[in-house]
Amino acid sequence: MAKNEKKNDISEMSFEEAIRELTDIVGKIEQGKIPLQDSLAQYEKGMALIKHCRGILQKAEKRIEKISKEEQAE
Amino acid sequence: MINKSKIYTVSEINSLIKAILENNLPGRLTITGEITNWSTASSGHAYFSLKDENALLPCAMWRSKFSRVKFQPENGLAVLATGSIDVYVPHGRYQFIVDKLVPAGVGALQLAFEQMVKKLQAQGLFDEDHKQPIPKYPQRIGILTSESGAAIEDIKDSIWNRWPCVRLFLYPVPVQGEGAAEEIAAALRDVNRRNKKLKLDILIVGRGGGSPEDLWAFNEEVLARAIFDSKIPVISAVGHEIDTTVADLVADARASTPTKAGVVAVPDMQKVLGDLENYESGLYKNIVLCLRYGEQQLDETAGNIIDAIKQFLAERRERLYKNYEQIVKIEPHRLLGRKTVDLNNWVNRANTAIKAIINQGQMLLTAQTNRLAGLNPKSVLQRGYSITTNKRSGLLVRNAKDVQIADYIITELASENLIESKVTKKQNRNK
Repeated sequence: MAKNEKKNDISEMSFEEAIRELTDIVGKIEQGKIPLQDSLAQYEKGMALIKHCRGILQKAEKRIEKISKEEQAE
Repeated sequence: MINKSKIYTVSEINSLIKAILENNLPGRLTITGEITNWSTASSGHAYFSLKDENALLPCAMWRSKFSRVKFQPENGLAVLATGSIDVYVPHGRYQFIVDKLVPAGVGALQLAFEQMVKKLQAQGLFDEDHKQPIPKYPQRIGILTSESGAAIEDIKDSIWNRWPCVRLFLYPVPVQGEGAAEEIAAALRDVNRRNKKLKLDILIVGRGGGSPEDLWAFNEEVLARAIFDSKIPVISAVGHEIDTTVADLVADARASTPTKAGVVAVPDMQKVLGDLENYESGLYKNIVLCLRYGEQQLDETAGNIIDAIKQFLAERRERLYKNYEQIVKIEPHRLLGRKTVDLNNWVNRANTAIKAIINQGQMLLTAQTNRLAGLNPKSVLQRGYSITTNKRSGLLVRNAKDVQIADYIITELASENLIESKVTKKQNRNK
């Protein structure tokens, strides 16, 4: 259900999207006005986003690819 | 001034010619020509001539001015000489007294640069509101530079040293010489056209340091327009710190040298990791606060329940006493002593039992809220609680009203277990 969908979403997020969502969640929880049950879900999502971001940062291939003038699948 | 019938001395006519020339020529003028007959006297003054196809102009440059010339003038070099025409009365010769000498090539380039800046500025190519923001966390960066130059290495290192998790794509282009500007411009348009597939977040266009002629491609209009038209944000990284090119002015952001490209293009990994850590501890702190707040609400509710029970008990006791008084009126002698004792015992026992239940409830509550405050918020589920959501709306089910008959509900249990069930009946336990 929604939980699995969420996870898929996160894994497809770019670093920028993940950070944006993360700051959003941190802000919402800081305001403390969301119901307890929701805050747990948001907390869990926030942690998943942090994990995703760290995952992206660890993926350093340091490979330089070449683009050539001719139309070509890169 | 000139008297046709007057007979002039040589000195007089030379002085007159000097005065006429000085009065009718601009005080300072610039002449273009090729150096010939160059000689530097032991005094430090320089003597030479400027020539073109048809004419020769004798020139002199005094020591004080000549010492400021940064390059070595030589025969055959095309120059721009600035100074004034002077007549040397004793010899009846005129010469050009030069106070500024620059190579004509550079002078022409400089002039062309200034004219280009003026033109493109008037057309709004450098306007701030046309600058696109540079994405904060780029994932794919395209680099347009020479495959063999030092610039590609500098750019690569400066980026990966700060932000290793970015993929780099090199589009090799010539960065100097005839047609280089056209080729870089074409490459810019090419990647823009193909960017649906390439998915580049940023383009870096640049080259290492060189002579003004070497950098010239980056001053050409065709490249400036391609940078201006690029939908992908462009960072320029051309030459040394002191070099400014038209490409720098039109680009969305400018790195002063290829080695500074990383600072402009990517964030600092260490800082971002620190930010993530802050988010993590912030999230944890705040979720604990949330739980404490929930705990407080539970405490308040428990207090309310205890108050309600106390009140209920007091009412019952009052009614008991009323009944007791009536009983006493009916059978005063036989029942009085024993029943009083029984009643008091009963009230005492009831009070004790209720107090014990309340205490136990409070202990249980404290233990549970303490566990809730633990690291894993899902630990609630371990204790047998579950979270129920409506599959259709995806919302939490708090009330029978949140679902309809035939809706599917998802019950989330511990260890990521999910149960899907269908609603067949809705009712309130007390009705």
